[in-house]
Amino acid sequence: MRMKKILHLSLTLLAAGMFASCERVIDINLNNAAPKYVIEGVITNQPNVPAKVLITQTKNFSEDNTFPPVTGATVTVSDNGGAPVTLEAKADGSYQTSAFVGTPGHTYVLNVVINGAAFTATSTMPQQVNMDSLYTSDENLFGDVIKIANVDFKDPVGKGNAYRWVQYINGRKEKTIFVRDDDLTDGKDVQRKLFYFNDDDDDDTRDIKLNDNLRIEQLCIDMNVYKYWYSLDASATGENQQATPANPVTNIKGGALGYFSAHTYQVKEITVAQ
Amino acid sequence: MFRTGNRDGEMNAMYTNSLLIQDIVLINPVYTAAMKEATTKFLLMATAVLMFLFHAQAQDKASVSGVVKSKKNGETLIGASVRVAALNVGTTSNEYGFYSLSLPKGKHVLEISAVGVAIKQLEINLTGNLRMDVALEEANANELQGVVVKSSSTMSGRSLSSTQMGVEKLTMKETKNIPVLLGERDVLKTVQLLPGIKSAGEGSSGFYVRGGAADQNLILLDEAPVYNASHLLGFFSTFNSDAIKDINVYKGGMPAQYGGRLSSVLDIKMNDGNNQDYNVGGSLGLISAKLNVEGPIQKDKSSFLVSGRRTYIDMFLKASKDTAINQNTLYFYDLNGKMNFTLGSKDRLYLSGYFGRDKLGVGKTFALNWGNGTGTLRWNHIFSNKLFSNTSLIFSNYDYKISIRSGSNDVDVFSQIRDWNIKEELQWYVSDKHNLRMGVNAIYHTMRPGEITSSESSNFNNSILQRRYSWENAAYVSDVWKVSPKFNLSYGVRATAFSILGKGDFYNIDADGKVTDTVHYNDGQVVKTYFNLEPRAAASYQLNSSTSLKTSYVRNVQNLHLISNSTSASPTDKWVASTNIIKPEISDQVSLGYYKNLGNNVYELTVEAYYKTMQNQVDYRDGADVFNNDAIETQLLFGKGRAYGIEWLLKKKAGQFTGWLSYTLSKTERKINGINNGEWYNARQDRTHDIAIVGMYQLNDKWTFSANWIFYTGDAITFPSGKYKVDDQVVYYYTERNGYRMPNYHRLDLGATLQLAKRKKFSSELTFSLYNAYGRENAYTINFRESKDDPNKTEAVRVALFKFVPSVSYNFKF
Repeated sequence: MRMKKILHLSLTLLAAGMFASCERVIDINLNNAAPKYVIEGVITNQPNVPAKVLITQTKNFSEDNTFPPVTGATVTVSDNGGAPVTLEAKADGSYQTSAFVGTPGHTYVLNVVINGAAFTATSTMPQQVNMDSLYTSDENLFGDVIKIANVDFKDPVGKGNAYRWVQYINGRKEKTIFVRDDDLTDGKDVQRKLFYFNDDDDDDTRDIKLNDNLRIEQLCIDMNVYKYWYSLDASATGENQQATPANPVTNIKGGALGYFSAHTYQVKEITVAQ
Repeated sequence: MFRTGNRDGEMNAMYTNSLLIQDIVLINPVYTAAMKEATTKFLLMATAVLMFLFHAQAQDKASVSGVVKSKKNGETLIGASVRVAALNVGTTSNEYGFYSLSLPKGKHVLEISAVGVAIKQLEINLTGNLRMDVALEEANANELQGVVVKSSSTMSGRSLSSTQMGVEKLTMKETKNIPVLLGERDVLKTVQLLPGIKSAGEGSSGFYVRGGAADQNLILLDEAPVYNASHLLGFFSTFNSDAIKDINVYKGGMPAQYGGRLSSVLDIKMNDGNNQDYNVGGSLGLISAKLNVEGPIQKDKSSFLVSGRRTYIDMFLKASKDTAINQNTLYFYDLNGKMNFTLGSKDRLYLSGYFGRDKLGVGKTFALNWGNGTGTLRWNHIFSNKLFSNTSLIFSNYDYKISIRSGSNDVDVFSQIRDWNIKEELQWYVSDKHNLRMGVNAIYHTMRPGEITSSESSNFNNSILQRRYSWENAAYVSDVWKVSPKFNLSYGVRATAFSILGKGDFYNIDADGKVTDTVHYNDGQVVKTYFNLEPRAAASYQLNSSTSLKTSYVRNVQNLHLISNSTSASPTDKWVASTNIIKPEISDQVSLGYYKNLGNNVYELTVEAYYKTMQNQVDYRDGADVFNNDAIETQLLFGKGRAYGIEWLLKKKAGQFTGWLSYTLSKTERKINGINNGEWYNARQDRTHDIAIVGMYQLNDKWTFSANWIFYTGDAITFPSGKYKVDDQVVYYYTERNGYRMPNYHRLDLGATLQLAKRKKFSSELTFSLYNAYGRENAYTINFRESKDDPNKTEAVRVALFKFVPSVSYNFKF
């Protein structure tokens, strides 16, 4: 439950409102660090969507935001103890295979070797839980009434289910990380409100408006991957840190950043009608 | 699911086949034996000290004792000096105004003085023990402005001869004119202007003492611990200055009667209430109104005091026509009450209480309220002219409740910490050379870490975290020994036994924080007891009539830990007691001080240096989630800390111009396995330089002006040293904990007080403040994001909160 985050944001917003805070872009001299590998590995149960691994590297803060892929790595994935399948290097720099489609209940092992450095990760694809419905509701957030996406689903009995949602408005991806485990909602009919805080008055493309196309992907993720997104959100997004900043807790062994996630995939799409 | 199993490594053999029944049979003898041994040792030591003291007592002496109070309102005076100048002997009144002084039989002149009152000289002829209560008159203004003031002054002074060091005293009078934020006079913010005590951040009432964490301050209101001393994001403290008599902050060398926190003791005492006359006082400020009523129940014998404060920001919300706004709630209030009864010449009863609450509500969907309640019943008894006793029964409570009503989500979250506390203390003025204090204290803690309840139709399951019970026992004895007129020594020991009690499940965890084993304990069963001896020692040597040197050593033990990793104080921060995994925090501090009075005692120079080590410090694991976790240990890491520094304070105590200059040079670090690769790193509150200049100038009878300027090195903080992309989002890469600094902080505040009416029956004044007078944009937070102008770049954004905040408030009294 993200109660603490909601609370922190509310208090911060209140303080900002009460005391008319002021925000200014400043120059800060940040250290440079030796580049570190970032591995993003994804396997889904979508037919025709290949298993995909993208390898990039960290850059210094002052550099631009293009992160060229690292090529020349050896990437393999094994499906439930089967023989490792080597992923092919593609033109966009990613590594892919269509040798298998992810199956719920299967455990996948990722191995990556880059210039002699080896990394490994394991992820088990959970059973698929589907959204039953998607709709919007009006919510009052400190004087602003905003539209929020709602998804309804039934959590299966037994703790250990975790979900991630990705929201698109008119095809544009919302940057807020939406994750939730079932620690408090095990076995319940869950109505999940995808709250996000757009503190940027100039950018209303993030707001949900009437007649917008709203698309939500629901991913069922394993608990280690949940931990990754949870800790990334709490401490590495650079904004509104509720905790001391730190690198997220990764499931990749060997000293790389990133994650390896075998998850189910479901998408719903509506036109915002009310 | 749990099974009974092993506890600590060393006990493994004992419990190989452990079953519940065996646990009970085996633990009790172990516990009882250990308890017995500790008690026996303690009693032996105490007896030895007593025998020694008895021996030292002379026979041709008698004692004069009594209570020092203010003539005007009957309030007892704490720390009043009672001296016989000709013999160069003296004492100070205790926290209930009681004093006792042993003198040779014969004629003497007693000189009694205290902050803000006129010196009184009394001739006595001591033929036997004498009881003498003293009422002192308020000092008049002329006297306050006199240049040469021998020992009376407008500001509290520290004693050259006392062994007590590392203490800061403030009375409400001297904080009165200091400029404040939003018109709210706040004692916790005033103490931050003193050396070694650092603000927890912009506008915050939270504070750090000598490198310790915010939860390492023992905050006592009439002896009752206050677990969350802040209102509204920490911008205001829970202490309504109208109800407070005086404050002592111990930064080091804590006397043995205090224990339970590593870094400091903030001892706040409420006014007793005027037993001479009825008084109504109050104030109207920008954000709050206060009212204070006091008076005699029976003149000279008993009195009452009721003091309340409430903010009214929410009235502005209510006034809005916009339903989205006027349904929001945001306010806090405090209520202080006290009664005291004098029962004959030997007994006095005090009953005091505090209740405060914050309420925050967003529309009908989200509500949060939190607050403290305390109650103290005290009985002073004077057994003899040399033996003073105080018995206290104390209650303390902190809780918060969150309610969410949103669609089918309907859920309440509740958490609480509650103490029952009993104390007995004896102060024995053994002779003119020895002054003994001893006591026992038992606290029963009940913690309810989190209880989630919701209706049947809700998304949420009920989830009740286990209640935790513990029993904190302490016994102490200390002696202040006047070895020679120049050399004083105080020494003592505090013995503590902290017992974690069932019922409940306790866990064993591995190095990765995974639960390996769960052990169930029954109701009242002892899970573990931590015994600790906390030696306290201090010495002072007076070099000449205006200079002294002091040194002290103190060990403190802390068994309650605040689990907070937030960058700001939150009402939902969680207190947890020590468990089989969470060990008591221990600190050892040595300090050395140099004290000099200058310019005919108008100036005071204090220089203190300290070195402190801390064991069993607690921090979060990365990605920790402590909200709904019974085995909270799995989310924590443990390590050690060290802090050292040097503090200067130059104070001008008398004259038209008063004030002080404070400078601290310090360092504080932590070393925790699992953080920063196990290397030492700066604690967040590590600020190399910390300067405060405070000045007050009384222009005439009408106007008083004041100013303060503050500078400190920016906090140690974790900034990114790189960035990368995850799922098309730029996120940040961190290489070391607290490896960066926030920008340096500085600020000037201005204040002025205009006395409007000053008659016997009615007085009123207007107070003006300008916070951050030159509009410095001090960084409250620094965030990192993709640039708004060029999304292909990242930028750092500074958020500053208070810039030129003016305020005015009106105070009255009749």
